[in-house]
Amino acid sequence: MRFFRSRYAAPVLLLLPAVIIVLAVVFVPLVVSLYSSFTGYRLTQPATLYNFVGLLNYKRLAGDPDFWWALGRTFVFLTIALNLEMVLGLGLAMLVNRVTTGQRTLRTIMMFPMMFSPVLVGFQFKYIFNDNVGLVNNALQSLGLQSEPIPWLVDGWLANLSIIVAEVWMSTSVFAILLLAGLMALPKDPIEAAKVDGCNAWQTFRHITLPFLMPFVYIAMAIRSLDVARAYDMVKIMTNGGPAGRTELLWTLIARVGYQDARMGLANAMSYASIILSVAFTVYFYRKLASARRYMGGIED
Amino acid sequence: METPFQRLLVRLGLFVAMATLCVPGLWVVLTAFRTNVEVMAKPPVWIPRALTLDNFRQIFGLSATQQGIPVVEYFVNSLVIALTSTVIAVLIGMMGGYAFARYRFPFKSAVFLGFMLSRTVPGIALSLPLFILWSRLGLIDTHIGLILVYLALNVPFTIWLIDGFFRQIPLALSEAAQIDGCTRWQAFWKVEFPLARSGIASAGIFAFLTSWNEYALASQLTRSTASKTLPVGLTDFTAQFTIDWVGMCALAVLIIVPALVLTFVVQKHLIAGLTFGGVKG
Amino acid sequence: MAEVSLSKVVKRYGGHLVVRGIDLSIAHTEFVVLVGPSGCGKSTTLRMIAGLEDISDGEIRIGPRVVNDLPPRARNVSMVFQNYALYPHMTVRENLGFGLKIAGETPAVIATRTAEAAATLGLGELLERLPAQLSGGQRQRVAMGRAIVRNPDVFLFDEPLSNLDAKLRVQMRVEIKKLHQKVKTTVVYVTHDQVEAMTLADRIVIMRDGVIEQVGTPLDVFERPVNTFVASFIGSPPMNQLDATVASRDGRPVGEIAGGIAVPLPFDVASKLTAGQPIVVGFRADDLSPEGHGLVGAGEALELERPVALAEPLGTETMLFLELGGREVQGKMLHPRPVEVGESLRFRLNLSTLHVFDKASGMSLRA
Repeated sequence: MRFFRSRYAAPVLLLLPAVIIVLAVVFVPLVVSLYSSFTGYRLTQPATLYNFVGLLNYKRLAGDPDFWWALGRTFVFLTIALNLEMVLGLGLAMLVNRVTTGQRTLRTIMMFPMMFSPVLVGFQFKYIFNDNVGLVNNALQSLGLQSEPIPWLVDGWLANLSIIVAEVWMSTSVFAILLLAGLMALPKDPIEAAKVDGCNAWQTFRHITLPFLMPFVYIAMAIRSLDVARAYDMVKIMTNGGPAGRTELLWTLIARVGYQDARMGLANAMSYASIILSVAFTVYFYRKLASARRYMGGIED
Repeated sequence: METPFQRLLVRLGLFVAMATLCVPGLWVVLTAFRTNVEVMAKPPVWIPRALTLDNFRQIFGLSATQQGIPVVEYFVNSLVIALTSTVIAVLIGMMGGYAFARYRFPFKSAVFLGFMLSRTVPGIALSLPLFILWSRLGLIDTHIGLILVYLALNVPFTIWLIDGFFRQIPLALSEAAQIDGCTRWQAFWKVEFPLARSGIASAGIFAFLTSWNEYALASQLTRSTASKTLPVGLTDFTAQFTIDWVGMCALAVLIIVPALVLTFVVQKHLIAGLTFGGVKG
Repeated sequence: MAEVSLSKVVKRYGGHLVVRGIDLSIAHTEFVVLVGPSGCGKSTTLRMIAGLEDISDGEIRIGPRVVNDLPPRARNVSMVFQNYALYPHMTVRENLGFGLKIAGETPAVIATRTAEAAATLGLGELLERLPAQLSGGQRQRVAMGRAIVRNPDVFLFDEPLSNLDAKLRVQMRVEIKKLHQKVKTTVVYVTHDQVEAMTLADRIVIMRDGVIEQVGTPLDVFERPVNTFVASFIGSPPMNQLDATVASRDGRPVGEIAGGIAVPLPFDVASKLTAGQPIVVGFRADDLSPEGHGLVGAGEALELERPVALAEPLGTETMLFLELGGREVQGKMLHPRPVEVGESLRFRLNLSTLHVFDKASGMSLRA
């Protein structure tokens, strides 16, 4: 019972439930997932869980064009989306920062997309981009710009464009709100000094505002990178990776292979690839954040 | 010293941005109150001529014309699962957050890193092994199955948030209370907890919203109306070939309304909690 | 009502010794001030008395009881924190009554004692306010009120005036002193400000690096500092200290300082000196004055003619900066007249109050 008198007794006991639940529901399944990726497990034949096949699933993946297409598409999708979100978020934040009256209302409106579940966002855009009753096609028709309905969610290029639009709509607010906080924290003096020194608006932005904002940009990126897989929910309801796999992202492929095709072993191998993708994004941005913090002189710890 | 032209540009830009943010959602909400006939009409009808609550009645199965969908069951499932997992997550989060805020112990940063890493695992990736495990444990299609999962999803974030809120409260307050005669436990409940209350509440609301809106895991770990949640219901019925748009929009409104209300509440709490400036002597 | 005694108290953080075995006896109702530079261990010692830090070694007694293993609430002490630590969600009245409420006192008792404390500290009108609505000085008084309401055995003060502006600090110092005269309780007070220490203490405890350098009344430590550290810490402006070498002139021991000046040393240290020994001679600004503008005192004086480098007129006196022994020293000019920079004045250095320290050990040779 010596443990209970030690000074670590309290924090350890306090953290125990949290650690247990996360271990049991996240880390143990991750191990199970890894294990099953080395088997030929099929949902339809439960006994195959013990059918060890070594690296066969991974070899299959390496040679599977569907997998590589999905992976590549996911990577491109995320890169485009994140960059667009950052730029648009910055622009929006700067616009809102300029206005003096009604800022609170604007900030409230900016929070709207964050309240929506990704499923709702997907549904919303599925409706809007629907070729028959969708808002976009109806508007184009009423304005006389198009008589034929545009297959937003069917054509390869357009469908991918549509899911990017939906993703950007969903997450630009995260950037906008964080960057607005950064802009509001920006001290006025250096900007005034720059103006006196002869800088025009662009130069002031580039040399004063932007460097100050960089840590906020990285914070936003780091927070955002935790949730990249939210896009799955949205894409599933919008296109389900289709039609015919034209918008297949890594996550929809996993769901398809694992649950529809019941090839669990293979799906788990793929899902480890998706985990590595997520972790890579997060680590990349946290590294950038750490180096930005050093530059800022250690905000807090 | 901006020119009127610049000001106009800014206003215009803001208008476009705000419109883009509001219009899609508003359009869905509007559709929920329109008749199917109007929605499908060609050429498109923009100004609704008739507004109706029929769609809502219909999805609840109260209308005579079309078959309802089990909205009530979905709603109850979502509510029960989200509430239960939130309450427990907040309790566990308070304990963990306090531990991180007030104590030093070995492996502290490793534990924190572990929590944060657990959040990066994509829902769908986690759902595969959980499906395997939960099937063997008989937890598929149960409330408790999802509650456990949402606990694990929410606990790291609530710990992180609540840790931050407790750090804002000076340790000296707890020490003063102990000198005044409290045990550490009493000092927590009488001094630290009341001051962190609004922060803990907002952590709870974030947890609730996460559970309320979650799809990837819910879709695989539920099978029937015994446990299917609202997001799963919406996706199920939108995956059909012929979509009942007005009905689904009504369902979407049902999903968004609690989220909207709660988010407004969080806003106020967040602002109140952050301006509780009287703490710094 | 209690004495406080510390014997061989040690505090370790990891492998690092913060308090290195201190012994101290504080008498009942005595006002003791722990003073010293940052990191000397004074706050840690106070917190060990309070029970907010574990005692690594040694024993602390409050009254007859050994309190090492007692939690704060069992020690019957009160503490005033540097940042006041008022409960922000409670009114002033509730803040004052909190300790009594926890102790289970009846509402009647709580009301009377709260009213008494409020009266003593002039808090009557502020009772229904929240801490956020109070000024710094008011918060400080509420913190003190919270401390006295419980009638503890010991009052502990942890740098309570550091957060106040200079004028308010002087005011509050007076209030604290008056409070002690009224509520005769043992006080242990921590500060880094030696002026506070001098004005408030019955006895001062000077600490450095986890050890006690000297314990004594304010006058004691001022007139008879036990080493060069205490000598330079106590007194404002700090004591002038000059390196010197022991020599003999005309049968009289002198300290030869840079610049060839020989400072005659007091006879009572003669026996402790050896020729060539490196020493430090110390004198306060009061002891170096221009002729006719100093304290008229008995005893010998060394006469020096030096130019003034800088003059700081303070009204009733002027501080003069001059070079001596290769260093800049301060002297004091009473009944001042205007002095030009560079003006050469005849100074008198009071030799009977001269301090002599051994250079190597820093210890006083006159104590």
